[in-house]
Amino acid sequence: MNKRYGNQVNTFSEILGLADIIARMKLVRVPDDALTWHRFSGSLLLVLLVLLFLSGAFMAFYYSPVPGTAYDSVDYAMFSLPFGDVIKGVHYYSWNFLLMVMGLHLARAFIVGAYKSPRQLVWVSGVPIMLLIPALIITGDLLPWDQNGFWTTQVRISIIASVPVVGDFIVRLIQGGPLTGIAALTRFYVLHILFLPALLIFLLVIHFHFLKQRGLSGSWKENHPNRLSISFFPQLVNRWLLLFLAVTLALGLISWYWPAPLGDPADPTDSTFVPQPEWWVLFLNQLVTLFRGSLTVIGSVIIPGGLVALLIALPFLDTSPDRHPARRKKVILITLIIGIILAGLSIMGYVKHFSETHS
Amino acid sequence: MSKKLILIMIIFLTLIAGGMLIGTDEVTGAAKQTVTVAKVKKAPAGLDDPAWQQAKAVQVPFEGKEKFAGKKATVNTKAVYAADGIYFRFNWQDAEKSVTKGAWKYDGQKWSHQEGNEDRISLLFEIERINKFATKGCAVVCHVPPGKTAKDGKFGTTSAAEKGDLWHWKAARSDPAGFADDTWLTQISEEKGGRKSDAGKGGDKKNMTVDKSKPMYMPAPGKKLSANDILLVAHAVEINDYSGFKAGDTLTYRMPKMPEGSRADIKAISRHADGSWTVVLFRKLDTGHDDDVTFDPRKKYNFAMALFDNSGDEDSYDSEVLTLQFAR
Repeated sequence: MNKRYGNQVNTFSEILGLADIIARMKLVRVPDDALTWHRFSGSLLLVLLVLLFLSGAFMAFYYSPVPGTAYDSVDYAMFSLPFGDVIKGVHYYSWNFLLMVMGLHLARAFIVGAYKSPRQLVWVSGVPIMLLIPALIITGDLLPWDQNGFWTTQVRISIIASVPVVGDFIVRLIQGGPLTGIAALTRFYVLHILFLPALLIFLLVIHFHFLKQRGLSGSWKENHPNRLSISFFPQLVNRWLLLFLAVTLALGLISWYWPAPLGDPADPTDSTFVPQPEWWVLFLNQLVTLFRGSLTVIGSVIIPGGLVALLIALPFLDTSPDRHPARRKKVILITLIIGIILAGLSIMGYVKHFSETHS
Repeated sequence: MSKKLILIMIIFLTLIAGGMLIGTDEVTGAAKQTVTVAKVKKAPAGLDDPAWQQAKAVQVPFEGKEKFAGKKATVNTKAVYAADGIYFRFNWQDAEKSVTKGAWKYDGQKWSHQEGNEDRISLLFEIERINKFATKGCAVVCHVPPGKTAKDGKFGTTSAAEKGDLWHWKAARSDPAGFADDTWLTQISEEKGGRKSDAGKGGDKKNMTVDKSKPMYMPAPGKKLSANDILLVAHAVEINDYSGFKAGDTLTYRMPKMPEGSRADIKAISRHADGSWTVVLFRKLDTGHDDDVTFDPRKKYNFAMALFDNSGDEDSYDSEVLTLQFAR
């Protein structure tokens, strides 16, 4: 209870009755390096997620999830509203950067051995988040109902359908019928703006819970019992807000000069359209291309599924207490090989879908 | 400089660099061409203005239809935009300049129409989205009844909500007045097509007497024939005495009117030289008229073209649908 009730209330937080909460937040201490040049990817991910939520909410005000009007509603939001194209651009670039920063976040956590005891569950709880982001992108791609979104969805649906036993069922479930029409668009929309974001928030809460319980990982050299700390509020929050402003400004400028794409309206009868995969899915696309016919399941399920299983299991496979990369040569080498293979597949995919197309 | 500031700058620059790398090149399908409208400070003043060098030329292929079936043509297409105007420059091979359009010829005893039609180029944009125009092009606005030929077809959209903006440059009937005919497309009906003239005045007037046996007008005193030796309505005067004409004299049959209102939005400059036409069409980005497409440089547009070689009907060369995008 606010001790000054009944007397003069003179600060904004007191007026809002937040003084106690703020006082508690001030008591929360975090390591001094919680948001520094070598440890900012987590905070940046949060910035990008907030931007995605805000820009997505703006677009949802104008979006109409019906095939006949979806495209025009996006077109209207982009070009008839003040800064509509910038807001759409912020949404578009945010998820692109989110994937990149997520990769950085994962790479850093791996290199410094942040998955090791006692932070195994911090790592494990992060993996589902990493898987959920592509689901959000996939459901979001269809919403503008443009050629690329529509036909890319067709490719993805055909890949899902190729999964033995459950493929057709999953397709029916997400599509609401045999064709990508109004039922599919409605389901993708509901998934994109309701269920998946709710699930993402839930998973983030779990991730932060373990992060708070187990703490941020320190340097790989040794644990510092006397690490310097700062208060969560206002110091860390201020740093984060500064980052938020800088990123918002940068993405706003990018969106202004390089607008987000909006292709032609979807034409389900135009089977000549060949969608090109997005950069982040090139390696998966190439995997599916390499394994054809009865082997499709290897490229579409077994290898990607195996990689995910490996990610989740990593803290329990590499149980040595050593965090320095030089003392984890075996794990580093295996990961490097996997990384090179994935990069190679992506390059092959790029050459196939982009260089050859334009030559 | 504090570490915080350095961090912010690094993130800022990395994001911008990343944005450039991601780019926004969208997938438009293998066959669809894009005409990029270059931004110029000073609008081109003519056919050979240096401003055109800033625009990337696109060789747009055309397929012959009807009488021209099996034949091909190519139009070198450029586009630029300045403060408030958009400018298109088209160049295509055409050995013979066709501007006759049934012009009158006197043989010493009687007047008759000469053989020959006119060269034309037309462009179709969407004012309001035309269903599947982005992928099928002009095919979705050309309605030919089953079992009939293109000559029996009607031009129009399938619903009133769909509207097209049709620019029609005619070597004999619009170019001499310095314009392209500005028309628009709306819903087709069973009785007639959906092709309408923009608000205002324009078009052409037939130069013939009531009994259709001879021309009714000739150049007014002090007035010369316009480009392509065409007589404009504004420069014509009724013929009172036909005795002054001698064998071999010719007179324009379809006299262009000076357009007014929304019909006068698209101005034209042209030249036929060395076996090719060069045509520039230009218009305000936003005319403020409901019967015109409004060009917003932030947006992309679909358009398709048709080329008519000495043709007065549906015998044409058609392009596939193209994308028009503005450089910033």
